[in-house]
Amino acid sequence: MRIFRSTFEQSIALLLALVIGSLIIVGIGENPIVAYATLLDGAFGSPQRIAGTLLQSTPIMIAGMAACVAFRSGLFNIGVEGQLYMGGFAAALIGFSLPLPWFLHLPLAMIVAVIAGAAWIAVPAFFRARYNANEVVSTILLNYVAVLLTSYFTIFLFKRPGGWSETPPILESSMLPTLFEFSRLNYGLFIGLALAVGLHFYFLRTVSGFESGTMGSNQRYAEYGGVNIRAKIFRMMLVSGAIGGLAGGVETLGVHHRFMEGFAPGFGFDGVIAALLANANPLLTVITALFFGILRSGSLLLEVDTTMSREIITVLQALIILCVSAQVRIGRRGDATAGERRWKY
Amino acid sequence: MTETPYAIEMQGITKRFGKVVANRDITFAVRTGEVHAVIGENGAGKTTLMNILFGLLQPDEGTVKVAGETAHLRSPKDAIRLGLGMVHQHFKLVPSLTAAENIFLGIEPQRYGLIDRDAAIAQVHALSERYGLRVEPTAIVRHLPVGIEQRIEILKVLVRGARIIILDEPTAVLTPQERRELFRILNGFVADGMTVIFISHHLEEVMEVSATTTVLRQGEVVDTRPTASLSKSELVRMMVGKDISFDRPAHAGKAGDPILEVSALWARDDRGLKAVRDVSFEVRAHEIVGIAGVAGNGQGELAEVISGLRLPSHGAIRLNGTAIDAASPRAIRDIGLAHVPADRMERGVDRDAPIRLNMLMGRHHKAPWSRHGWLNSEAITATANDLVKRFDVRTDSVDRAVKTLSGGNIQKTVVAREFSQEANFLLVDQPTRGVDIGAMTEIHDEILRRREAGQAILLFSVQLDEILTLADRILVMFEGEIIGEVDPTTTTEEEIGLLMAGVRGDAAATQGSPGLPAGAA
Repeated sequence: MRIFRSTFEQSIALLLALVIGSLIIVGIGENPIVAYATLLDGAFGSPQRIAGTLLQSTPIMIAGMAACVAFRSGLFNIGVEGQLYMGGFAAALIGFSLPLPWFLHLPLAMIVAVIAGAAWIAVPAFFRARYNANEVVSTILLNYVAVLLTSYFTIFLFKRPGGWSETPPILESSMLPTLFEFSRLNYGLFIGLALAVGLHFYFLRTVSGFESGTMGSNQRYAEYGGVNIRAKIFRMMLVSGAIGGLAGGVETLGVHHRFMEGFAPGFGFDGVIAALLANANPLLTVITALFFGILRSGSLLLEVDTTMSREIITVLQALIILCVSAQVRIGRRGDATAGERRWKY
Repeated sequence: MTETPYAIEMQGITKRFGKVVANRDITFAVRTGEVHAVIGENGAGKTTLMNILFGLLQPDEGTVKVAGETAHLRSPKDAIRLGLGMVHQHFKLVPSLTAAENIFLGIEPQRYGLIDRDAAIAQVHALSERYGLRVEPTAIVRHLPVGIEQRIEILKVLVRGARIIILDEPTAVLTPQERRELFRILNGFVADGMTVIFISHHLEEVMEVSATTTVLRQGEVVDTRPTASLSKSELVRMMVGKDISFDRPAHAGKAGDPILEVSALWARDDRGLKAVRDVSFEVRAHEIVGIAGVAGNGQGELAEVISGLRLPSHGAIRLNGTAIDAASPRAIRDIGLAHVPADRMERGVDRDAPIRLNMLMGRHHKAPWSRHGWLNSEAITATANDLVKRFDVRTDSVDRAVKTLSGGNIQKTVVAREFSQEANFLLVDQPTRGVDIGAMTEIHDEILRRREAGQAILLFSVQLDEILTLADRILVMFEGEIIGEVDPTTTTEEEIGLLMAGVRGDAAATQGSPGLPAGAA
């Protein structure tokens, strides 16, 4: 019942956001019904478009898992975007430089992406664990460093005069296989889904996950109960960063097959928001990530078929975040709180 | 408006939470201008009833009348408009704001659209003076002791115009001195024509402060009587439905080998100040050592150091012969510590997690509750169900979040978890804070059984009678030092009271230097 009601409330919030959004669309001089229909058509109108939607959702989903790991442990990794760039860049380096058989090459490229993501969060993680330094600021700042640093290396090491700002293409032996002929949708989607299921069981069923969740809920109690807080903080932040790196690796190895400047615009941030909207619940994060994927992929057709630019999607996204996080409450008070809800799904 | 001698009338109030009936057909009335005690065990329905009165909950049946008029209390706003005010058991203050800012939060006096700080401060001063509620308006709440925080909560209620004040377990966190002060303030309210509803499960307090007493048991009213017509044993019988004795239990065993040895221990508090100074003592098997003292004299830091939650700056601690001054909380638990922490909500539980997981915290990583890193839900639920039954935690399911329990049942959850550990040293800090008499005697009996079983027990309590009842030796802490040791069978409350205030007496026959100035606290 409770889950039903909270889902109902979320839907109302979503509806409210779409209504406000339609007012804005009217203001632009377009028909909101046509706009939303175009959006849905763009996201679901053909097998190719559905695949495109899933393709857009995949990096958001994996990045969302990175955020879930941190949030559930009471840590705020807002630097998923940066970890994603580092992971993507590192995977590309391995992908084009080492001639290896595929069963070594692909896993190696993924592992290096994971290591790059973890390395990128290691410094904030150390200072958070050792000196209780605020990780929000340090991880956010490192986003810019990561985006600009990868861009610098790409341009100065690999850019040919007159060419694109990108690395050489990766070798076929390191590519994540696609699922269909007609789309770049690849096995990365299953990596995201597997992560979600894995994390779900990790937090609910394992000793380590229970301790992480307890630390996120009441750190002083976890400490009292025998959890080594410092080690746990460091470890969980590294895991979060590692998954962030994996998100970038999947994007490089599965979609672009090279690293290029601005190759994953905002996927890391969208992942963080997807996790927040889902209350750091990995299974719900799959759904919120899909939702963001729908908006992104639908916006392409929106730009083609109407006079609106795809930035309207950013507006819609912001409205949705506002409405959902405002926790529109319907019915009685005394509903389960966010903290309690994590035990209920 | 009809003339009525009653400030509050509750008629036929029934409130159900799922299958549990928290209040069943409750009818009672509170006269204007009296202190009316509502007494009952944990889970007797006191807090639910008061939440209904204050508009936080809506009753399924029944009506509430305020000053003779039927009141529709849909939210606390309605209650406040009718002149009700509630001081909750757990304070709701913003620690980083000043006393005055907290008091006027949301209703700040304004001038030209800006907050008029001077007016706020002046008003706090005026109210403080009028009722003897001494509060420094510009003090930051974070730095204030709980007794003052409570006064701020009371002032909050007063500035919102309350004439009927509900206090939920107001003495649970107070020292004897602070409690006396509170009673003086409440009497001042009554003299001023206000009405006080006082929720408690402390018999002595109820006898001392109230004019009328309503006793609740299992969600029903047992009786409403003038307090003067009630004896203590009668009250107990009404509350728990059976007799309970208050005598100091005889101690058969003899203290055995030292289990915990603390020598020349120093430690600092969170601000880096010396909080524990050169403390040495030992706790033996078959022995309860009580640590008395006014809250905030280093007891909290001492308990944290012993349990591994704080590092000492100098000194040594040995548990079962092993040095533990640099060991982790988990290592110390493995060597033989069980620990009931002073603040159950802050340290003792994860309020959002289900009871079953809270019951197994600290040994969840051991078989049979987990295997190869996987939690074993069946074993956890079975043990939790067993503990809930053994320690009489009142809940219909161990899957419920801990926060759905009443304060006393949360404490019983913590006690159940810790007392069922395989440990020969129990660090018990404020074991019955905010706990009703039934649960209190159960917890006390359990502590005594542990002693008979040969465990060593270190008992911290700000409730003197608790330490006097249970301890075999009493150490008194003052400003981080152990200022004296007394024998509970021969000492008096006065002697301990003086030590607690920092006066080293001759009777407190330690190496004391007599004549240290009193009241240095």
